[in-house]
Amino acid sequence: MSTFRPELATPADAVLSARSALVVGAGGLGCPAALALVEAGVGRVALMDDDQVELTNLHRQTLYGDADVGRDKLDAALDALGRVARPDQRVEAVRTRLLPDNARSVVRDFDVVLEGADNFATKFLAADACVLEARPLVHGAAVRFRATVWSVAAEGRPCYRCLFEDLPEPAFGETCAEAGVMGPVVGLAGALMADLALSVLAGTPRHSFFSIDGLRDRVREVPVGARSGCPLCGETRRISRIDAVCYTASA
Amino acid sequence: MITVRIPTPLRTLTGGNEQVQVAGATLREVIDTMEKQHPGIRDRLLDDKGVRRFVNIYVGDEDVRFLDGLETKLAAGTEISIVPAIAGG
Repeated sequence: MSTFRPELATPADAVLSARSALVVGAGGLGCPAALALVEAGVGRVALMDDDQVELTNLHRQTLYGDADVGRDKLDAALDALGRVARPDQRVEAVRTRLLPDNARSVVRDFDVVLEGADNFATKFLAADACVLEARPLVHGAAVRFRATVWSVAAEGRPCYRCLFEDLPEPAFGETCAEAGVMGPVVGLAGALMADLALSVLAGTPRHSFFSIDGLRDRVREVPVGARSGCPLCGETRRISRIDAVCYTASA
Repeated sequence: MITVRIPTPLRTLTGGNEQVQVAGATLREVIDTMEKQHPGIRDRLLDDKGVRRFVNIYVGDEDVRFLDGLETKLAAGTEISIVPAIAGG
């Protein structure tokens, strides 16, 4: 029986079991996303993080419990995911952050990348690396009661830089470390990230931009257009390599 | 009057208020009026090309990029949401 999208003519299990996904960030978005990918039967799921579990994570980072506080997130996550994975599934740890010197080599090893990073530098880095390596990328972000989720095709058109162009100055962008985040909103966004990633892996991608308003229980689907002057995926693209200096304007 | 919902980073300019009531027939007029009441807010929303790339402005449920941008007409009672690019999770 297919565990994913039973309306598909061909059961997706066989397709998904031969596919791989990288989840950048084992936080409030990465936890539910990774769980959904493993439960859906994706053959190889890797989690990328280098942080430890803190007490303040537990209300939204659903792979961890009280006993995990102080442990490496990936040790706790692999324990939790290992309990639900089938014997033929691989669940892997990538024990580092996504950095300019590793981004392209890491993402090229996967069929789809999901990023739930807590900072803009990593979001732009993931966007650039995935377009340069022709890998589909699902972005997720959540602050306070609001979240956004967006699946970007391997070639972009549009991509993250079509919408946001470049790193905002710190005063402009919100991060959950500064503003906090509500657990159910980030859980919903993480699950939606997994759903969009599964659609990519099953060959039926959906590329709308989703905006979630948890205060009024609204999910808004916004069509995003490609920007002709986009430096990453436009006709006159200027970004052809990863340059570390481009990812330091925001931490 | 138009209701404008203010995101956290901009509330330092609105005396901490989560929303403000402003008169205006278009988005441009609303932002001009807000600038008079809360100096500095226009620069946080607009650059010389229009709405800043990492700021999304919604009129009701619609992104103004897909309406008429700053010239989008507003009916009385309309709610405007300002949504900056976000990171985190």
